[in-house]
Amino acid sequence: MTTPAIETFALAKSYGTTRALIGLDLQVNEGEIVGCLGPNGAGKTTLIRLLLGLLIPSHGRAEIFGMDSQRDAVAAHRRLAYVPGEANLWPTLSVAETLRLLGQVNGKVDLTYQAELIDRFSLDVTKRVRALSKGNRQKLILVAALMTRADLLILDEPTSGLDPLMEQAFRLCVHEAKDRGQSVLLSSHSLSEVEALCDRIAILRAGRLVEMGTMAEMRHLSALTVEVTFSRGVPDVTKIPGVSSVDVQGSTLRCQVRGSVEPLLNSLANSGVRELLSREPSLEELFLSHYGAPAPDVANDSDQ
Amino acid sequence: MTAISNMSRANALPRRSTRSVIARVTTQKSVRAGAVWGIVFGLYIATQALTYATSYKTVASRRLLVQQFGHNAGISALVGPANQIGTVPGFTAWKCLTVLAIIGAVWGILTSTKLTRGEEDAGRWELLLVGQVTRTSAARQALLGMAAGATSLFALTSIIAVAVGRSPKVAISAGGAVFFALAVVSSALMFLAVGAFCGQLSTSRRQAAGLGSVVLGASYALRMVADSSAGLAWLRWATPLGWVEELQPLTRPRPFALVPIVALVIVFSLGTLYLAGRRDLGAGTLSDRSNVLTIRQLPTTPLGLAAYLSRSVLLAWAASIFAYGLLLGGIAKSGGKIITSSPSLRLAFARLGVSGADAYLSVALLIMAVALSFVALGQVSAARMEESSGQLENLLVRPFSRAVWLIERIALAVTALVLGGLLAGVSTWVGAISDHATVKFSSLLSAGLNVTFPALLLVGVGVLVLAVAPRMVSITTYTLFVWFFLVEILGSVVNMNHWILDLSAFHQMAASPAAPIAWTANAVMAAIALVSASLGVELLRHRDLLGE
Repeated sequence: MTTPAIETFALAKSYGTTRALIGLDLQVNEGEIVGCLGPNGAGKTTLIRLLLGLLIPSHGRAEIFGMDSQRDAVAAHRRLAYVPGEANLWPTLSVAETLRLLGQVNGKVDLTYQAELIDRFSLDVTKRVRALSKGNRQKLILVAALMTRADLLILDEPTSGLDPLMEQAFRLCVHEAKDRGQSVLLSSHSLSEVEALCDRIAILRAGRLVEMGTMAEMRHLSALTVEVTFSRGVPDVTKIPGVSSVDVQGSTLRCQVRGSVEPLLNSLANSGVRELLSREPSLEELFLSHYGAPAPDVANDSDQ
Repeated sequence: MTAISNMSRANALPRRSTRSVIARVTTQKSVRAGAVWGIVFGLYIATQALTYATSYKTVASRRLLVQQFGHNAGISALVGPANQIGTVPGFTAWKCLTVLAIIGAVWGILTSTKLTRGEEDAGRWELLLVGQVTRTSAARQALLGMAAGATSLFALTSIIAVAVGRSPKVAISAGGAVFFALAVVSSALMFLAVGAFCGQLSTSRRQAAGLGSVVLGASYALRMVADSSAGLAWLRWATPLGWVEELQPLTRPRPFALVPIVALVIVFSLGTLYLAGRRDLGAGTLSDRSNVLTIRQLPTTPLGLAAYLSRSVLLAWAASIFAYGLLLGGIAKSGGKIITSSPSLRLAFARLGVSGADAYLSVALLIMAVALSFVALGQVSAARMEESSGQLENLLVRPFSRAVWLIERIALAVTALVLGGLLAGVSTWVGAISDHATVKFSSLLSAGLNVTFPALLLVGVGVLVLAVAPRMVSITTYTLFVWFFLVEILGSVVNMNHWILDLSAFHQMAASPAAPIAWTANAVMAAIALVSASLGVELLRHRDLLGE
């Protein structure tokens, strides 16, 4: 059995009385891409900063390839690369100087791949960092991380500020990384990006992990959207077990069905059904379903 | 109805406050800084006046002083012409005006570029400028806030100057003291405006401060030339620092010299407002041709990067220390005569078995200790800024530990301080032998090393504070420095408890080369620095990385 790329054990972080992350147990396996979703203040960035050893846990611990993220931070960092959502680089250095410096600190760089990435992201290496737009700074920090071919990529909002073409280039890089067996933890607000790239998805809410699984698993556990058009009046389905979110528009009924659809189908058998459509929920619907209800324990803004 | 009125109040309040938020924040920061420096300025004036009154009690001793320095071109070039130094007001003006005008100018440039360009660089103005605040309005508010800062500097300096003037030994009229304070602060006011204008020209705070420093350097150089010969005195009208001298406070007050000072402040302020409305946010008026690079020496390690980023500041300090060493050493013989002509100073140094140039050079090297302390404070602040700006994260998420980062930072600071100390010793020696003073190279070299110890102590304590309370680094280390400095200068005129005196690193440092180096005291300072820094390196591992 291989060592997980990331494993956390009851990981928690508090700022005074504010609980930013509460007893988090998370595992990212080798070669796996895990997406991390959650609204602002859910604890995503806190989790990432704890994994990187930039924050000290209030409780619990985290391991990177079996190494403690605090005690063995330097050894753990030899096997990972990180992309922050906002790059705070040295404005007077050029792009080439920044890449060379960060590569030198990293210790290993695939120079051929670096050149390919510079080309792919259309990065002008002669420019000073202070002259770059936000998107170009993000491209620089992406190249700096990807060029190391690290075993684990920790990406926090990596495509913020990138145009759609560059987002495509980024997705290609992540697919390549997976093909090479690299692991990825991707925190993003772009649901389509997470849906397209990730093997598993972790949903955080108010500092807690509220859902973790593949898209298929999450869909299975979640409600099915059913839309029925009747040739005569719409029957009352609100009492049927598993049915919720009932919405009637003229002769069309929309509802959510959790669990088996058999009770609903039985009740509709003699109701003059003209058309029946059903579909699995999208990630957006899954995400919203988790955040529709009020939070049980509101954590203050922890994505700092 | 209540709900509606609450809502309208809630809507109205932020709008009112955001319109003037830049003025309020700038006022708050600059008034606080102005008050601190006002106290330092006032105490410096008080110390010089009281020292003179107690050291030169007799008419004969004052006449001797006038004979020796009334027409000394070297000293005149360094600190201005010695007018009426046979009187307490004349001597006080001579000893304080140029020194405080330069410190005020540096304060003005640093404060102004920080509160204007620095705030813009940090992105804090951007949020306001997309609202109801225009770029011109933001600049106007910042200028008003800084004017409030200059007022607090003036008020505190005046209050202390008037208070000390009431002493029968000093006997300076209240009007004279206030005009003197105005002359001292006028330099700060001018360079606040110069700094704000440079902030509009430049693309970064660093560049703005550099431009402002060039203006100050040129102004000082012109003043030196003007004061080096009576025939060149007209040149004083070509330099802001010359205008300050032309005010001639406490001797022959000439308020009309305020005209060019006020004109400069108005012109540069209007220029700031004009340019603020005509450039892009984040850009400078001067074209930045250096955005594209070709070939350059690249920093390839974090230590190399830290050295590379600090190089301008460190080189500027090195050049200043070297030039000041040459100047101070270059008047070693004349300086020695000052000591000889002062009965109390002569007595104090006679107890140490020295006199003349050695005694003077030990006082001169105290200035180097102050300069090196500023280097130390700058290095500690730079380390904190690397963390608060988020730049440090780029290194620490790679296989690079916090401990190694901090140790490298400490190594850079210690190297800079030791080299600075050696440079101070060597340049002072070169200056002294050019004045045909009899001083040993080895004794000045070790005296140069001697003045690094208070600065090393500041680095050590600064590192410890950085590790346990990073947001308190600047305030703690600067307060400690001001404590060291005030205790040392006040201790020379009033009888202080020896426990208080012992808590000043400048007091612990021996007056070398006049006195033998106090290796025990230096070892204690080095040990405290080492223990503090080691604790800092260890404790840094156990805290969160913190932004601003």
